[in-house]
Amino acid sequence: MRTRLLLAAGAVAAWLLPYGLDSYAIHVVDVILIFAILAIGLGLAMGIAGQVNLAQVAVFGVGAYVTAILTTRAGLGFWVAAVLAVLATVVIGLVIGVPALRVQSHYLGIVTLGLALAFTSWVTNAQASGGAEGISGIPVPELPGVDLSSEYLYYYLELIVFAILLAFGLFVVRTSLGRRMRAMRDDALAAGSLGAEVPVLRMAAFLLASVYGGLGGVLYAGLIRYVAPESFNIANMFLLLGMVIIGGRQSLVGCVVGAVGLALVREALVDHPQIAQIAYGSVVVLVVVFAPTGLAGLPVRVRSAVARRRGRQGAAARLKPFQPYDPEPSRRDGETILQVDRVTKQFRGLKALDDVSLTVAAGEIRGVVGPNGSGKTTLFNVISGLYKPTRGRVRFRDADRTGDAPYRLARAGLSRTFQNLRLFGDLTVEENILVARDRSRTWESWRYLLRPISVLRRDRELHRHARDVLDRYGLAEFAALAPKSLPYGIQRRVEIARAVAAGPALLLLDEPAAGLNGEEVRQLAEIVRSIRDSGITVIIIEHNMGLVMTLCERVTVLAGGRIIADGTPAEVARTPAVIEAYLGDSMTAGDLPPISEVTR
Amino acid sequence: MPRLRATAIIPLLLLAASAGCSAPGANDDDAKSGSGPIKIALVDAQSGQLSSLGAWELKGARLAVDEWNAAGGVNGRQIQLDVFDDQGDPTTGTTLARKIDSEGHIAMIGTAESAVTIAMAPILKQAEIPNITSGQSPGLVAAGSEFLFLNGPTSTTYDETLAKYIVDKQGLKSIAMITNNGSYGKGEHDAFLKALSSRNVVPVADQVVTTDQKDFSAVLTGIRQKNPQVIFVGAEEVESGLIVKQARDLGITVPFAGAAPQGTPVFLDTAGAKNAEKTIVSSPYLSNDVSDASKKFAAAYKAKYNEDAELHGAKAYDGTQILLTALKSSNVATGKALADAIRGTKYQGLLGDFAYDQTGVGIFATSIGTIQNGKLVAVTG
Repeated sequence: MRTRLLLAAGAVAAWLLPYGLDSYAIHVVDVILIFAILAIGLGLAMGIAGQVNLAQVAVFGVGAYVTAILTTRAGLGFWVAAVLAVLATVVIGLVIGVPALRVQSHYLGIVTLGLALAFTSWVTNAQASGGAEGISGIPVPELPGVDLSSEYLYYYLELIVFAILLAFGLFVVRTSLGRRMRAMRDDALAAGSLGAEVPVLRMAAFLLASVYGGLGGVLYAGLIRYVAPESFNIANMFLLLGMVIIGGRQSLVGCVVGAVGLALVREALVDHPQIAQIAYGSVVVLVVVFAPTGLAGLPVRVRSAVARRRGRQGAAARLKPFQPYDPEPSRRDGETILQVDRVTKQFRGLKALDDVSLTVAAGEIRGVVGPNGSGKTTLFNVISGLYKPTRGRVRFRDADRTGDAPYRLARAGLSRTFQNLRLFGDLTVEENILVARDRSRTWESWRYLLRPISVLRRDRELHRHARDVLDRYGLAEFAALAPKSLPYGIQRRVEIARAVAAGPALLLLDEPAAGLNGEEVRQLAEIVRSIRDSGITVIIIEHNMGLVMTLCERVTVLAGGRIIADGTPAEVARTPAVIEAYLGDSMTAGDLPPISEVTR
Repeated sequence: MPRLRATAIIPLLLLAASAGCSAPGANDDDAKSGSGPIKIALVDAQSGQLSSLGAWELKGARLAVDEWNAAGGVNGRQIQLDVFDDQGDPTTGTTLARKIDSEGHIAMIGTAESAVTIAMAPILKQAEIPNITSGQSPGLVAAGSEFLFLNGPTSTTYDETLAKYIVDKQGLKSIAMITNNGSYGKGEHDAFLKALSSRNVVPVADQVVTTDQKDFSAVLTGIRQKNPQVIFVGAEEVESGLIVKQARDLGITVPFAGAAPQGTPVFLDTAGAKNAEKTIVSSPYLSNDVSDASKKFAAAYKAKYNEDAELHGAKAYDGTQILLTALKSSNVATGKALADAIRGTKYQGLLGDFAYDQTGVGIFATSIGTIQNGKLVAVTG
């Protein structure tokens, strides 16, 4: 209710704002709104999807230039030109996004920055764009009954576009598409393993950013009615970047706050050019140092600081017992679900897997054990598609899945956890589950435009499912918390719940007992058994021999990348090679200390 | 609930729309009072890449204003020169155009960046604020504002004069071109090529380099093979200097030609005085020693800022002098009357004799000079 009141007050204030402004101030506000739209787009790509996109200003330029060229040279009407301009920016956005399929983080930043520079250089030299003099005389957009040459009325046009774009951005961020993007930002590997189509999502991020950039460009062309290369130079790109970082890139509202704030600071310093650069630079540095989450992150930081000072209030969230699944009566045990056929994986000189063959039957709990460095996690990575085997095939559910992308395998019914926990750190526990639970295809995101209600309905359903999962795993009280803030044992449980929420046929657990205490290990065994009873086949890598011996029906022993034994726990324990290679001492030691291996 | 928040905006906006119907901002009264100091705005890049240009402009304009103020101002009113930083950005320029309008400045000096000036022109025209710019792009003329004046010749004049000297007078027809792909280089490229083609001369080489290139041996080797009689350079001071220096290292001995940047001390220092020898320069302000007026200006400039005067300061000085002269002759008129007064002002300045036509250009010739013994010397006759 309070937010709605605030919102209503904000809307009324925004509507009445021009009545208190002179012609200079309204122009400033008009420009700020355009930058705010650009900042939202950049925030979607950088903050939400984690794609460092330094070509946003070029996309902005494309929108403005295409509008300018089509209206002045081709004689099209403003609105027709605007639609074509946005379409052009969509194409450009996809082109800019292509490098993201291959490179990430700062490398992507450098590539996109290069594209932005290329754009400025091109418009400076091309005939069509009017060279350094740019294009003047862009016609005023016409709207029946509204004179848009008045910057006051133009403000309302911008305000409406801005409000729609902000609302749409928030809608995306808080539902399926945005959640997946945020998951991808936090951990692209884990997101892929849970069925998020990482390449499609990256392109979608660039697409969204470029639509915002394009609309910003169209509005710019209509407002300034003149385009020149300097308007879209790198300095403006960094200004835009500053807005997003100062505002808080993970929050769209923060991006808007940053855009407004920085633009006002810039405006206030126009009369003091001597100190402007220093002051403006200081603001950016201060924010980066003292408020890394930006202005949008400040309320949360202040609240948590206050809470810390007062001491913890209220009851801390408690872990509830796991509620076992109802056994699935119609299980089709015994059929082969996974077949690893003579797989070899070579890393330069090192043979991590050497001619490994393995068959897992549906309904089984299979243990994979072996000394550190024996190739267990490599085997998981090959099965789940993170690695392509050098030789050999992997068949899953009667289909050859060798070298399939992780997200394809995930969609085919494979789910996994990671040895060193890969939870999405900036998502809540519930959102972690939601990402896994969400089985929709990313290309179906056109629904966001055409059938938003169906998106909402599906999201509500997802939330209900996620609640069920959290209840079952006793995690309901942690739903709104960040995984990072939770004890290790609970994080382990969240990761298992997340993997099961994806609804797999085969579940790969990589050292799920590492770092757990005795009671937690006992609960883990109970959970894994129940998961199997619900009809999910489980393969488990574990160093805790007690757990493996009691839990698994069959055990495969790896040493030096080869399978040295395969059979029931009792058979395996008697195999001389196993005793020699691995079990000799550790059978008596019982619980080997978990030594983290490199997952990749 | 976030979803409610998003959808709640639209009906609220509609509600607000029905509440307030009259359009805001209808009253636009100009607060240009007839007493107190005369407010003149100087808009130029004071930060960013173009700030050195902006700094020179400011010094030239400030010198003119201070001279007038020391002599009692205009009609007894002091002149107040307010400085605004456009950061070389057209968008910021449009904002500043609104700002100087709302703050009651009656005229504007600047900017040095043609694109910024073109962006501001429609707003200044609407607000009826005369603007004397240091830009020299033909696009300024094309902007078609009767409130826009140039304080120097357009860039086509530089290259037209240069082509006239090289082709018509010296009879050199084998010409190579090397220009950069920045806005200045591109403008030079187009203007000089146009001047050549109107004389039916096709350059033997037309090489384009980038603005931040440092090694030109590849393009210069290509040019050397063509064996031109003269090489036209369209680039900023430092890059031009590097090009000339590297050309001499490669054994190219023919003279270079170019516009104002090639007449500057920065160019001479970068190229080396010996290498720059015989460079042909087309500039409206060859040096501080060409006339008595320029000597006086240079001395005052040196006394005030402790550095040597150069072209941009001289241009801004001329432009400001013309504005102040027009203010005096029109009895501190504003708006259209002031623009007409500027157009009617005949002024003998550092760059030559100004007489504005309808396009806002007041000077239509540059001088040709050559570098001899490390000094730019005017070519007479």
